[in-house]
Amino acid sequence: MKGKRKRRASLRLQNLSIGSHVTLCIWSLIVLFPLWTMVTGSFKDKLSIYTNTFGLPETWNWQNYTTTLTERGSNFPTYFLNSFVVVIASLLLVMLFGSLAAYALARWRSRIPTVLYFVFIGGMMLPIKIASVRLIVLMKDLGLLNTIWSLIPVYVAMGLPIAIFVLTEFVRQTPVEMLEAANVDGASPFLTFWRIVVPLLRPALATVAIYNLIPFWNDLWFPLIFISNDKSKTLMLGVTRLFGEFKTDWSRVLAVLTLSAVPVMILYFIFSKQFIKGLTAGGVKG
Amino acid sequence: MHPSGLYWAWYLLPALVVYLLFMAFPLLDSVRLSFFSDNTGSWEFVGISNYSKLFSNEFFEGVPYIQRYGNAIKNTCVFFCIHMLVQNVLGMLFAVILTNKRMRGRTVYQAVIFLPTTFAILVTGYLWKLLLNPIWSRGFLEGLGLGSLSQPWLGQPETALTAVSLISCWQWIGIPTMMFVAGLLNISDDLYEAAEIEGASKWSIFWRIKLPLVKPVVGMISILTFVNNFNAFDIVYATEGANGPPAYATDLLGTFFARVGILGQHPRGNADRGMGAAIATITFIFLIIGSLIVLNNTRTKEKEK
Amino acid sequence: MKRKLTLALALLLCMSMLIGLAACGGDDPATTTDNPPTDAPPTDAPPTDAPPTDPPPSADDPPLEDVELTMASWRTDDVAAVTDLLAKYKALVPNVTITFQPVNPPDYNSTLEMQLEAGTAADLMYARSYDVGQGLFNKGYLADCTGITGLMDNFAAGNLAPWQMPDGKMFAVPFAAVSHGVYYNKDIFADKGVSVPNTWAEFIDVCKTLKDAGVTPIANGIADNWDILECFFLSMVSNYVGVGATREQYENGDKKFSDDAWVKAYTAIAEAAPYLPSGFQSVTYDDMMALFASGGAAMAVDGSWTISVYDDVPFEWGVFAVPGPNDSKNINFHPDMAIGYNNATKYPEECKAFLAWLCTQEGASTASAALPTGFFPMIDFSIQLTDPHANEFLALNSGREPDARFVWPKLMFLYGPMLDAVNGVLTGSLTPQAAADAVQTAYENPPTD
Repeated sequence: MKGKRKRRASLRLQNLSIGSHVTLCIWSLIVLFPLWTMVTGSFKDKLSIYTNTFGLPETWNWQNYTTTLTERGSNFPTYFLNSFVVVIASLLLVMLFGSLAAYALARWRSRIPTVLYFVFIGGMMLPIKIASVRLIVLMKDLGLLNTIWSLIPVYVAMGLPIAIFVLTEFVRQTPVEMLEAANVDGASPFLTFWRIVVPLLRPALATVAIYNLIPFWNDLWFPLIFISNDKSKTLMLGVTRLFGEFKTDWSRVLAVLTLSAVPVMILYFIFSKQFIKGLTAGGVKG
Repeated sequence: MHPSGLYWAWYLLPALVVYLLFMAFPLLDSVRLSFFSDNTGSWEFVGISNYSKLFSNEFFEGVPYIQRYGNAIKNTCVFFCIHMLVQNVLGMLFAVILTNKRMRGRTVYQAVIFLPTTFAILVTGYLWKLLLNPIWSRGFLEGLGLGSLSQPWLGQPETALTAVSLISCWQWIGIPTMMFVAGLLNISDDLYEAAEIEGASKWSIFWRIKLPLVKPVVGMISILTFVNNFNAFDIVYATEGANGPPAYATDLLGTFFARVGILGQHPRGNADRGMGAAIATITFIFLIIGSLIVLNNTRTKEKEK
Repeated sequence: MKRKLTLALALLLCMSMLIGLAACGGDDPATTTDNPPTDAPPTDAPPTDAPPTDPPPSADDPPLEDVELTMASWRTDDVAAVTDLLAKYKALVPNVTITFQPVNPPDYNSTLEMQLEAGTAADLMYARSYDVGQGLFNKGYLADCTGITGLMDNFAAGNLAPWQMPDGKMFAVPFAAVSHGVYYNKDIFADKGVSVPNTWAEFIDVCKTLKDAGVTPIANGIADNWDILECFFLSMVSNYVGVGATREQYENGDKKFSDDAWVKAYTAIAEAAPYLPSGFQSVTYDDMMALFASGGAAMAVDGSWTISVYDDVPFEWGVFAVPGPNDSKNINFHPDMAIGYNNATKYPEECKAFLAWLCTQEGASTASAALPTGFFPMIDFSIQLTDPHANEFLALNSGREPDARFVWPKLMFLYGPMLDAVNGVLTGSLTPQAAADAVQTAYENPPTD
């Protein structure tokens, strides 16, 4: 009896799945076509790309890559390492500081956290670019200009409002009994936080990480005004410079763009499973 | 057990120090600058004249300031509406499909939907400019029998803003999708099963069970979209330029602010930073009010529940 | 277990960050690149080395102090050329190393001014002509170059003027000028039996013949919002409206931007609209070059800096002057680049020495040879250019009066309004008269600063 009903329901859903597949396939096409254009275009040569913009290259031209990677002034591995260190360090600090603060803001019963909460999320709404001059002077005084370390504090400060917003909302929705479960066995408060609260926050932390990863990785402005020496340049800064230099040679620009995009995509595909698991695991199911 | 204020202060300290030093202080200092002008080479106090100028008929770029500013506000609102309608509704649809446990290939689709979010805006802008350019795409589209789609979408004042908005949705749709997926997966399966057994249709399951339960997520996404759209700059810069061409049709508050306060108009490039600070301050106040309204609404509903 | 590891790594990372922050508080920025956090990226990847540190000092240190100067520029295209030039200078003056640090043109003015204000700008920098450069000098950022040996003697007054204050002080050393003209595909012209036009009417006839023969006549578009004004319209304006003394009459308000001359210019450019690529609203500057290079269009109105883009195209091409209502008597020959130095540099003498070298025949010739083709020396010495197309461009000057782009000297605030006017008549949203009136209105309401 029950089985029969279930069968009927799943039949109905199967029908729906066809529509779902069609929808998602169309969308996938819209997503993948520009990518196809970029990658195939990067193997064409200066003139053939104009006549054959979207097809497969007639001859595969690797020169765009070899010259970009080896030519003087294009220090790709260094740019990568710099961007990588900056983004990872900033993200970890945002998540650590953010979850500590959010936990306190959500649980401290007083007027002070309410005020502080709005102070924090207020930062979400102001473009920090307007404070650029102040920040340059500050970084200069700290002796951080022209190093990648000048970027980390700014990114952490940029990421904190959104982290605190998302995480605080999340802690508030989590039942207090769950948060206080560990208090019983007399563990130290900080350990409680790490053992109990942080795992509970995991889906929200994943949101914070994705949400901040993109702007940190793509930011051009602060590297532009803080960093002028080549060995401290981030990937995006290096890419825009090459972009300007090669702009009349499309296939070469596409090679530069592919070089800058593919590693992130590979990283994303490698980690996407964990990433989605992290996003959805440990939810508040009670 | 309720720990003391001092106890909580330790948790807040690291975030507060970084935030105050590298964000709040520089920003507050910039709000102060909105009452100053640096056009003569040194900062001079000018009272509220930056603000009054913004709403006046004084000329900027050949037309009264208020006209440019009003145009930017209008465009930003359209930009925001398109995001809410396309990005967030499609994101919800994708999330519902992706959380259907009987659906195959979910991880692949999920990965593809999120993929553009990992692109640099520079990449997005360059590629779409190429794809939407009739000069390069005409032959290809005509080959597909879609020759009429070969229009300068980014170059016509009537279509440019929609085109840019859709490109932006294309890039960012992964984020609301993921957040909705997380929200939907956190709803207990028992609820669906119970509803399915009762014979509820897919639609009524969606409207009566799923949507109400992910309402907090809807609120959060709305605020994030709101805040991001009102500061949006990069996508217009990458696809059109800092002037919001054609004919200022894609000039958003973000580009207006950047042009006035940071970049200066090409090729002159002398920015009026006091004015930029004033524009940012007004946007800020506006965003705070808007966010409070959304936040309050989602909160009340939680309590009702 | 894994979580603990992550936690430990994260803690380690932030602690080392904080220590790093505290430790390098007063240090020279260059020494802080090898902080511990680099060694601890929180992935499973093996520890990576710190970013490369400074190159070791060269073996044979000269007795003179080693000086490292930086040079800011908006010419990202010229990295290879200018780096070569600077290497040649280093061969002459071994203790001075100058590093070229260009940023993309749209970011140049804003980042430079911010860095100047914060005291972190480069020692040498490309200076914009006229009022943008004057503004930086007035704010005390650009140093006074008037005393640099050779500057006042080796340049004609007209070439000094763009980087000169009203009181005669110089804030930069002129480096290169650019010209503008119509690039045309000789093969297509021969094939379709058209010849180089001398007047605007002839030009439109040529366009019509080409279009009827199925060729896109002009490659230009309006998507990038600068080339249509700077290369195309302002080149026409030289002949439709005038240069020099006439320009000054408009600057003073003696003549109106809504007069017949301007309306005729807008009317003329509107006539060209049907001969632009279809969908020209989306055609960017790069698209224009691509169209011309691929033989997709017969002509492109552009600047001399583009010459080298067409080095390897499979057709013959040439340039002619942008035509006017009658025979063209004037040309848009624009003083583009100059180099100044930072008032706050630690090494003013070394900066001045480099600039003085650019004012010598030897320095100017070396620079001219290093720069990409299409940038013309402004110094009085005769310098031979080797590229035939560059000489073809330069030959357009003979018999014509050269002048800077119309709005540059005093009317930069009209750049935006005039661009809007040109776009308006090309897309048909403005009549020529309405376009001219809008620019006049903008002129009557200058920005207050």
